[in-house]
Amino acid sequence: MDIAQILINTLVRAAELSLLAIGLTMVFDILKFANFAHTDYAVLGALFAYVFNRILGLNLFLAIILAAFVTGWVGILIDQAIFKRLRKIGAKPVTLMITSMGTAIALRNLMRLIWTSHTKTYAIPLQKPLEILGARITPLQIGIIVVGLLSMIAFHLLLHRTTFGKALRAISDNSDLANACAIDSEKMIKRMWFLASAYGVIGGSMIAMEHLLYPRLGFDIIIPVFCATILGGIGNPYGAMLGALTLAFAENLILALDLAPLINLGGLFNVGSIQISTGYKPAISFMILIIVLLFKPTGILRKK
Amino acid sequence: MLTIKNLEKRFGSLRALDDVSLEVEDDSIVGLIGPNGSGKTTLFNVVSGFYEKDGGEVYFKGERIDGLPPNKIAKKGLCRTFQVSKAPEKMTVLENMLLAAKRQLGENPFSALFMRPRVQKSEKANLDMALELLDMLQLSQLKNDYAGDLSGGQKKLLSLGRVFMLKPDMILLDEPTAGVNPTLRVQLMEAIRQLQKMERKAFFIIEHSMKVISNICDKVYVLNFGKKIAEGTPEEIQQNEQVLEAYLSGA
Amino acid sequence: MPIINFIIYLLTMIGIYSLLAMSLNFQVGFTGLINFGQVAFFCIGAYTSSLLVVNAGVPVVVAFLVAMALSGIFGYIMSIPTKSLKSDYWAIATLASGEIVRLVALNEAWLTAGPFGVMGIPQILKDLIPKDAYPVFYLLFVIACIIMVYIFLSMLTNSPFGRNLKAIRDEEELCLSLGKDTQKLKLQAMIVAGTVGGLAGSLFAFYIQFISPENFKPIETFLMWAMIIVGGRGNFKGAIIGAVVIQLFNVSTRFLGNYVPLGSDSMAALRMTIIGVLIILFLLFRPEGLIKEKKKVYD
Repeated sequence: MDIAQILINTLVRAAELSLLAIGLTMVFDILKFANFAHTDYAVLGALFAYVFNRILGLNLFLAIILAAFVTGWVGILIDQAIFKRLRKIGAKPVTLMITSMGTAIALRNLMRLIWTSHTKTYAIPLQKPLEILGARITPLQIGIIVVGLLSMIAFHLLLHRTTFGKALRAISDNSDLANACAIDSEKMIKRMWFLASAYGVIGGSMIAMEHLLYPRLGFDIIIPVFCATILGGIGNPYGAMLGALTLAFAENLILALDLAPLINLGGLFNVGSIQISTGYKPAISFMILIIVLLFKPTGILRKK
Repeated sequence: MLTIKNLEKRFGSLRALDDVSLEVEDDSIVGLIGPNGSGKTTLFNVVSGFYEKDGGEVYFKGERIDGLPPNKIAKKGLCRTFQVSKAPEKMTVLENMLLAAKRQLGENPFSALFMRPRVQKSEKANLDMALELLDMLQLSQLKNDYAGDLSGGQKKLLSLGRVFMLKPDMILLDEPTAGVNPTLRVQLMEAIRQLQKMERKAFFIIEHSMKVISNICDKVYVLNFGKKIAEGTPEEIQQNEQVLEAYLSGA
Repeated sequence: MPIINFIIYLLTMIGIYSLLAMSLNFQVGFTGLINFGQVAFFCIGAYTSSLLVVNAGVPVVVAFLVAMALSGIFGYIMSIPTKSLKSDYWAIATLASGEIVRLVALNEAWLTAGPFGVMGIPQILKDLIPKDAYPVFYLLFVIACIIMVYIFLSMLTNSPFGRNLKAIRDEEELCLSLGKDTQKLKLQAMIVAGTVGGLAGSLFAFYIQFISPENFKPIETFLMWAMIIVGGRGNFKGAIIGAVVIQLFNVSTRFLGNYVPLGSDSMAALRMTIIGVLIILFLLFRPEGLIKEKKKVYD
């Protein structure tokens, strides 16, 4: 695989992952726990979009926007029903994290119950790839990259132009919620959940569009999303984007790489071209995650 | 006993400790005062190994200890308490005391399983010592209460007891009397002074109350904005204009 | 009598999962190590013991011991990153490491037969026990293991070692300030937990006589978590009670499936939804679980 193709695949993957990583990093930063249900919210939204698109016949773009809106409220509702109660009794972040794992299991299986385990697809016309510099890219992938970019610009504006964004940045800079907030902190948390879930839905739907949609998808993408988040430095939305880009590049590079020279040790052995077996594809991001955690747990962009 | 040379610690652009040098001599009680945010607790955190320093050197009993992890420093005989007392929630007061005992048998799975008679014997000895200390700290009645359920002042007392269990050569106390009732406070200070006399231990104490400091300290250092601004006997410090100014502007 | 056989099967599975729950409880309830990859110990134990016996003809006793040792070593490896990682980061890493172990079992077909799994695992002491009595014999064997592990773990948690672990769970910095090498303690705790998990894996393999990567999906870890959350952390009785409750629910609903108009996939989904909700409800309304951690009282 040539470099142009690697770059294109990287951009597509990064666009998808960063939208998911932004939400995860916000929750981590403000409520101080790793939300293991985050990608399941995203998949729930993607399934809503599927319903709006396939069953109600809505335009796919509108379907996703609507689904993001609905899921944003689901995020708030789950917080009110579960996490807010735990905050009230002063539960430790670890308890919130374990509870989010329970939430993830319940939500994932509820989706499986409602929509069955079968894979689903959106109503997208068959994609005819274009050639750019010898690399192939489908119009859908171009759309994913554009939507990803637009969402990030929107997020940047939100960070700098709204009181919510300013409060968010203040928290990210150092202090805890109570100190940083000119506005009511519970209100702030609600907005944060809405935004985190809605952005996740856009990212999740894009992954579902490009690959497949099924209720367990959330579990299959949780590790890459965590990896991108940690790589970028928790609590830093720009870091989340950069982390997604770095992870996507590393993944695609490793997939494309010929590992034979590594094994041959400069002529010691003579093995033909070796590539990572496709069975280990999911393990790539796991390994990157573990390596990142071991050597740079603070991420690329350190918090101030 | 403890020598600190040109210690530096930065948090981003903030200089939390700026070229601090000081000395705690053998069997003396030294105080450390300064307005809020002047770097007192930061100094303790760096000396005890919880923060990495950005420059300077720390020597304990002639040995360089900066860069060592906190547990190694504690093992060398330099122990500390925390400003916000740490009290394991689901461990009783007695368990807390036993936890601290030095060089216990049965602290690894092997000896815990195969040397039980000897472990029990050493537990018994530690238990006696713990009960005695709890008696002195007036915590005996609470010995089987969870440490997490104690009041702030009681937690302070417990953390003192724990440190005494360790029998260190030098103790860093971070506001040991905050939240402790006044009568007990006097007794506590008395206990510290006695320990220093009998067992020749050194103390380095962060305190807010000037009264406490001038009662027991041989020497006092003053920090402000991460810099050492004064040192001397309690009387000298009380008359130092720079110190008064720092406190007045801080208040 | 199929009903008796079913009950014996159920009890045996409860027993095996009790061991896994006790091992997880040792990590979570006593040391505060949030391990979301507990199934890895189960998987390594099961594969090591069965492959040693089936492919290499090693005596079963030796195979069990090697399996426990290997799981223990894996526990050691898992504990290494706790040095530099906060507990939530470590939890994320354990989730990944559990999946990596399963992927190795799935992909290294030369060793593990990949998705086909290991078949023909022999029964222990098959020639000495009458065929009809075998299930009861194995159940007794599992119970004996539980009793041994229970005593072994209780001795550890009641020792100064166990006290140190509890202090790490509640206040790690305090533990450091008292001169405890918390990293070494966590490492020892993970080795102990891994060994117990490996024993459970071996018992499982030689009971079921056929294992495949399907047996070691992340869902198993979540079941074990449900057990310690429902049963209660910080005591081993809770882990056993939790295993009883969750396995009773898990296994018996499989048979109820015959009377409910739902496909097997939907039934499984419903089961796990309920378990997820149960986890949430317990954490919200009864965080200490069915059995509370016992206070250690001196007189």
